Amino acid sequence: MTEPSELQLSEAPPGGLTRQGSLWGDAWRELRRKPRFVISAAIILVVLLMAVVPSLFTSVDPNFADLDHSRALPSGDAWFGYDLQGRNLFARTVYGTRASLIVGVTSALLTVLIGSVIGIVAGYYGKWLDSLLSRFGDIFAGMPFVLGAIVILTTLNAPTSNPSQTRIIVQVVLSIAVLSWPVAMRIMRSATLVAKQLDYVKAARGLGASPFRIIFRHLLPNTLAPVMVYATIAVGAFIGAEATLAFLGIGLRPPVVSWGVMISDSSNYVRTVPHMLLFPAAFVTITVLAFVMLGDAVRDALDPKSR
Amino acid sequence: MRRARSITWLALPVALVLAAAGCGSGGDTNSAGSGGESGTVSIYGTEPKATLLPANTTELGGNKAVSALYVGLLAYRPEDAKPYNLMADSIKTSDAKVFDITIKKGWKFHDGSEVKAKNYVDAWNYGAYAPNAQQAASFFENIQGYADVNPPKEGDKPTAQTMSGLKVLGDYEFQVTLNAPFSVFQTKLGFSAFYPLPDAFFKDPKGFADKPIGNGPMKFVSRTPNADIKLTRFDDYQGENKVHFKDLDIKIYSSQEAAYSDLLAGNLDFMEALPPNAKVADKYKADLGDHVLTTHLLGISTIAIPYYVPGYNNLDLRKAISLAIDRDKITKTVLNGSYVPADGWISSGIEGYQPDVCGEWCKFDPAKAKDYFQKSGFTGKLTIASNADGGRKEPLEAACASIAQTLGVSCEFVPSTNFGAFRQLADSHQFTGMSRMDWSADYPSIEDFLTPIYRTGGSSNDSLYSNPEFDKLLAQADATADKDAAIKIYQQAHALLAKDLPSVPVWDEKGIGGFSKNLKAAKLNFQRQAEISEFRL
Repeated sequence: MTEPSELQLSEAPPGGLTRQGSLWGDAWRELRRKPRFVISAAIILVVLLMAVVPSLFTSVDPNFADLDHSRALPSGDAWFGYDLQGRNLFARTVYGTRASLIVGVTSALLTVLIGSVIGIVAGYYGKWLDSLLSRFGDIFAGMPFVLGAIVILTTLNAPTSNPSQTRIIVQVVLSIAVLSWPVAMRIMRSATLVAKQLDYVKAARGLGASPFRIIFRHLLPNTLAPVMVYATIAVGAFIGAEATLAFLGIGLRPPVVSWGVMISDSSNYVRTVPHMLLFPAAFVTITVLAFVMLGDAVRDALDPKSR
Repeated sequence: MRRARSITWLALPVALVLAAAGCGSGGDTNSAGSGGESGTVSIYGTEPKATLLPANTTELGGNKAVSALYVGLLAYRPEDAKPYNLMADSIKTSDAKVFDITIKKGWKFHDGSEVKAKNYVDAWNYGAYAPNAQQAASFFENIQGYADVNPPKEGDKPTAQTMSGLKVLGDYEFQVTLNAPFSVFQTKLGFSAFYPLPDAFFKDPKGFADKPIGNGPMKFVSRTPNADIKLTRFDDYQGENKVHFKDLDIKIYSSQEAAYSDLLAGNLDFMEALPPNAKVADKYKADLGDHVLTTHLLGISTIAIPYYVPGYNNLDLRKAISLAIDRDKITKTVLNGSYVPADGWISSGIEGYQPDVCGEWCKFDPAKAKDYFQKSGFTGKLTIASNADGGRKEPLEAACASIAQTLGVSCEFVPSTNFGAFRQLADSHQFTGMSRMDWSADYPSIEDFLTPIYRTGGSSNDSLYSNPEFDKLLAQADATADKDAAIKIYQQAHALLAKDLPSVPVWDEKGIGGFSKNLKAAKLNFQRQAEISEFRL
């Protein structure tokens, strides 16, 4: 990786001869052929559809409780069975997708946004600003995630308060982003350090281009790929984080339905009503896996060396 | 050489584990095998929060040891919580204000000294005196002169060391004078705060705390913090509730689940409560068979409807809410049959309990509930607040769903992270909707279900309910010396609650415990404790 510009040049001609192939265009053609990408993209599409229009999948109200069905096993009427309160688990799992996905996607976006801005600034200007921002990031990176989230969420919400649902969602998203941005920052910073040494960047600087122009025209296109890979994987990880926080009783809470809330509800009944845990947990696992697989596939496609 | 040494280091812990396991199983066969009057019984315990002094023990963990180490003037029958004279020979009063108490002769403390009237008076004075900071000091508040030794304002200096209402009349006789007539005072005397203390305590209170000397059926042997408290039989005990085994071993556990596995394995003999996950789908019945114990507890669960919340001071709304809760179904499903539907504001095991005081309002009736809800004109969202831990969340969520679906209104369960935070809301009157109000009585009397919660200014009147007529009846009952006549007036007050519905009665807990196969018989009392005289090996 000492001289990435040379590597890229020597690999480019085969695609470049037929068509003006950009890095992203090449990646897309590469991806379409990979079963790993196709499968994970299909899963993510279904999950996204569930989040946007849950009524396509079920006509049952996820909060309707009928105690006559309490703890009933999966059957033709309710594919995933019923929970302790007699609520349809399939309907709850489908409706739970939205909250889980909103938290996962928005916190990943926010993490990447904060991390990228700080990382590119630190990498481009270097010197004391780099040291300052890097050490600042280390403070947050050094904090264990769950501990940090507990501290933030319990400080923001006094135990006696009753915060509204949107407030809790915003708080959960913010605390995940605040604790995770250093990872995105480090990735962005190291990519910037490499891109800064490219000849045309040096040339642009020599010709007197403004830092703003250099960052957006020349650096960003070269540094975006690794951060995008991280973002895809992070969506999955943050869906898991939402479940963790809800399980601890400091994340989302009823009447919002999310997979984490459902797993938290089931914690006392694992031995006697296992399906209360299994279905939401399976959805979390499959969705996280799909995002991680997608991230892997995208990374392979964007890394010219693997071709 | 190097390798050989590492193997011996590995072997050592293994040997230790084996030895420990051998010890454990050896002990068990002893307790099960020898049986009869000389065996050991082990019971589930939690670490006591304070020293093992009667007036300083208000929680279950310490009370297990204290109630075996000491006895008082009265005891309560395990079946129906009725008080009977234990150390008291007679307790006489003509006006429910001055009580003449004589005690039985020949009863001894574990150090051989005789129990005399002054041991009671001294112990009560010690318990009430503010600088001693005893947990149960407020139990003495009815006695004349309490305000002098324990001023109502915190930080004020007491003006006396002893209460003027306590007088020693002889070795075996003393007199108690109250601030005002209070007919239920006699029933309170069986509570642990009223137990006597020996002279040895007053000579050296610090040393006594490490090795307490009581007058009960068991005497103290040793205490290892966070591990166990060991007691053994006191053979000179005079009471009728003697024990029929030799050693009592209170094993301290940090989790009920771990204790429950030990109970099933035969390493523990008795648990007065079972962990929530054993109760789901009646798992404990399959686990324990005929070694399940049930009892009435002195408690009642209600949903309080605070009068200070705007929109909730509305009788039609309270009726609608009460009619909309399907108590029967919730107790059978979500609560796994460990509760029964409540039909009044008093626990069913109590003397003076009448069935169906709540009447039609506590029966699930969707059509009527809707009518009253429309009449109430309430708009907006209903909420029920509670701490979410310890299995409190599920039944209230179910009640909320029942209310929401019957009335067509939205209802939300609002969790607090823990009990402390929840009580903080209650004490500072900051609820924004309904709240859980589970009451557990301190002593078995109908009065304790009414005065603290519903009297104007009552110590636990979180909803700020106030009804002058109700207050008047309570005052009248307090001043009635004849117990049965007093109960009749308390019942009239109880009936008034059904007109106002200051809270919605929901369910009444059945105590469920279990004992191991090492024991032939055991009994659980209304205080959710083992009745140790009923253990049979």
